[in-house]
Amino acid sequence: MPRFLEAIEDVVGSTLFYYAVSPLLKIAAALFVVLTLIAYLTLAERKILGFIQVRLGPNRVGPWGLFQPIADVAKLLVKEDIVPQHAIKWAFVLGPCLVVGPALVILAVIPFGPSADVTGGMGWHIADVNVALLFVLAVATIGVYGIILGGWGSNSKFSMLGGLRSAAQMISYEVPQGLSLVVPLMMAGTMSLNGIVEAQHDQHIWYVFNYYGIGLAAFFVYFVAGVAETNRNPFDLPEAESELVAGFHTEYSGMRFALFFLGEYANMIVISAVAVTLFIGGWLPPFANQSWAGFLSLSFLPAGLAGFIWFFVKLLAFLFVYIWFRGTFPRYRFDQLMALGWKWLLPMALAAIMLTGLVKVL
Amino acid sequence: MTDPNTPATTPETLLGLEEMVLNFGPQHPATHGVLRLKVRLDGERIVDTYPIIGYLHRGTEKLFELHPFFQNVPHTDRMDYVAAATSNLAYVGAVERLTGIVVPPRARWIRTLLAELQRIASHLLWLATHAIDIGAMTPFFYTFRERELILDLFEEYCGARLTLNCMRPGGQPYDLTVGWAERCAEFIEDFPSRIDDYEGLLTENRIWKKRTIGVGVLPPDVAISYGVTGPMLRGSGIGWDLRKAMPYEAYDEVDFDVPVFHNCDTYDRYLVRMEEMRQSTRIVAQCLDKLPEGPIMAKRPRVLKAPKQSEVYYGIEGPKGEIGFYIVGDGTPNPFRCRVRPPSFFNLQVLPGMVHGQLVADLVAVIGTTDIVLGEVDR
Amino acid sequence: MAKIKQFLDEIMLLDLFAGLGITFRHLWKKKVTIQYPEERMEPAHRFRGMFRLDEDRCIKCTLCAVDCPIDIIYIDWHQEVNPETEKKEKLLDRFDIDVQRCMFCGLCEEACPTNPKSIWLTTKTYELATYERWQNLYVDMDELQQWRVRPEYTDKEIA
Repeated sequence: MPRFLEAIEDVVGSTLFYYAVSPLLKIAAALFVVLTLIAYLTLAERKILGFIQVRLGPNRVGPWGLFQPIADVAKLLVKEDIVPQHAIKWAFVLGPCLVVGPALVILAVIPFGPSADVTGGMGWHIADVNVALLFVLAVATIGVYGIILGGWGSNSKFSMLGGLRSAAQMISYEVPQGLSLVVPLMMAGTMSLNGIVEAQHDQHIWYVFNYYGIGLAAFFVYFVAGVAETNRNPFDLPEAESELVAGFHTEYSGMRFALFFLGEYANMIVISAVAVTLFIGGWLPPFANQSWAGFLSLSFLPAGLAGFIWFFVKLLAFLFVYIWFRGTFPRYRFDQLMALGWKWLLPMALAAIMLTGLVKVL
Repeated sequence: MTDPNTPATTPETLLGLEEMVLNFGPQHPATHGVLRLKVRLDGERIVDTYPIIGYLHRGTEKLFELHPFFQNVPHTDRMDYVAAATSNLAYVGAVERLTGIVVPPRARWIRTLLAELQRIASHLLWLATHAIDIGAMTPFFYTFRERELILDLFEEYCGARLTLNCMRPGGQPYDLTVGWAERCAEFIEDFPSRIDDYEGLLTENRIWKKRTIGVGVLPPDVAISYGVTGPMLRGSGIGWDLRKAMPYEAYDEVDFDVPVFHNCDTYDRYLVRMEEMRQSTRIVAQCLDKLPEGPIMAKRPRVLKAPKQSEVYYGIEGPKGEIGFYIVGDGTPNPFRCRVRPPSFFNLQVLPGMVHGQLVADLVAVIGTTDIVLGEVDR
Repeated sequence: MAKIKQFLDEIMLLDLFAGLGITFRHLWKKKVTIQYPEERMEPAHRFRGMFRLDEDRCIKCTLCAVDCPIDIIYIDWHQEVNPETEKKEKLLDRFDIDVQRCMFCGLCEEACPTNPKSIWLTTKTYELATYERWQNLYVDMDELQQWRVRPEYTDKEIA
């Protein structure tokens, strides 16, 4: 462990260190990384969408537009905070918080890198809960409350309708999402996210390739449901501009609006992180069991940093795919969206579970 | 249809289950101009739509009466500002028939060329706005990249990109510049692969198909009774195209097909317009090959006077439908009355019938497929 | 056979992947953005921009004012005897164009009978925005002469 951390441990005492100081440091680091990632994700989205559309994205503020997120944040912070006169104040204020909060809380259980027994030092996760998968599902559902409160609290006919539609979409896609997560659970035999990555390491296969395509089907269901959860294209009808109801965030301005958007990107990152952990091998380097690919494990880097780098790379790939989808597809109408969730994804997830069980028995 | 302002005293109202009136206002990203729709909704289904137009009325038909014939050509640009060349063509064709001028062959071929280029440009803009309304944002940028090339060609020819003023009664004011034909040929060669790009993104895409198949059905008898023309009509199975039925300019000497599809829905109108773009490419290539030499302006008096008590109606196939001019002359250099038959106005009439019973999200798709330009509707 | 292929297409989402492929290809294409104001698109030769008057060539026939579709050209002239040449000639008092309403249609340029023309629009100028509203509403004679002259004004551009 680095020297300064040992020094702090000597001062504070080892129990206090492992239960208070170390988690606080890790939380600070994770929040810092994720919040910066969210800010630059907005820039990356605009640049990548621009490149897909044969134009340059923002490139005036700093080289290649790198200071654009700072300019955006500054602009949103100095905007006037308008609360509609007849808005229900507590709901109006609480809405954005309930969208951002759960997304950031889920970060606590995601293994960004190897755990303590692999690195021999501090693990690359904030908490290793042995029902982490259930925790993820439970906390993610709280986000729906934020949307409902935001839509209702705005006290506007259209915001309410938009909010309810968005909430209905999110709830109905949580079912196939949760069911598809049962497949890697069955393959690994443990609910702990750390344990699932370890199981992928032990079984020498990433779960997306496992069981002759069942893993692929489960991954597909999870990812499509994830895109629908975050209200992204092609499922972004509730927040599309050219539709009649402009969505639950019509009445929001300034920093509150920024919080909603932050929440959307945070949700994107969290869903991608969970997908990476469960299906794509988390922090494992590719071809880990092949001898020729030893260099890919980047073992010259200290203490599991290699694992973190691989995790980050896979996360970025998923975020690119989110942006790629936005640039390519038209959007579904609301009834077609719901039909897709209930009539196609749910049976697919159930079939994947049953087939996984079958394969495990045989 | 009844004005939704009149309150209804039906059992539903008494029970409190009345319908909601939504104002799809004049300023809205999806209405392609200042169109206002009062939509009566029953939950999510549309019961009735009441278009309110006139927000872009500028008195164009009165303006026509104030100036001599050839000075009115810039006013025609501004009606259908997306496809100015075809409006110009309709007007100058009507004036020529009124005053009895015969246009030299080279001018006729150049006019055909410009009209077909303009048709491609207009359909590109239609595709851009239709796709972005349905949610696919990238075809907008790809089509505008091509439209810029066409507009560059127009800029080289007549000096302006949008309000072209590129035709005069009697012929053409300018001849093609050096190298214009080569640049046009270059564009035409590249263009079919671009249309393949747009089709790859949209035509087979299951989301696109789900949004457009079965949406906005226009039965052929309804279409004929309302006077709908253009791709709206040809998407409903009726193969009426003025370029084939009553050929004008050089259309009887070029070889092209008119696409007709029979399912009467939005998807078919999309297919009609995509195929029309390909056919226009064919026509332009033939025009470039067959362009004759010769004068570009007929011998005409300095001041064009229409004979006393004469009238003419002349319609051509514009990108949106039949655009026609009915001009009454009275012996002076100014027209006595100039009435425009705008295709978008007639096509807009069937909008309420097409969206009846559909969902609100389909309203946007149907407005897009009607391809209206409010400049024409309101004049 | 075709039905099987269609079924597989639907299951394997081939249409969606084709769309994704097209957008991916466009990521690597040359971008069409023109970085204004560092780069500027040069208009075509015949581009109808701001007009320019050449007072020396103008014969004060007022055909341009007659031909304007919106009547925004105001010309005043009077006849005077030139002391040097002992001949009557027209002198231009006022040649104003109301730029607020001009639609840059080019009919005035077409009407001008002199050769080369005395009023022309091909100055390739389109950056006419000002900070104050009154600043270029009414362009008068002197201002009209100062717009950038277009390089070669010839008629020799016919294909």
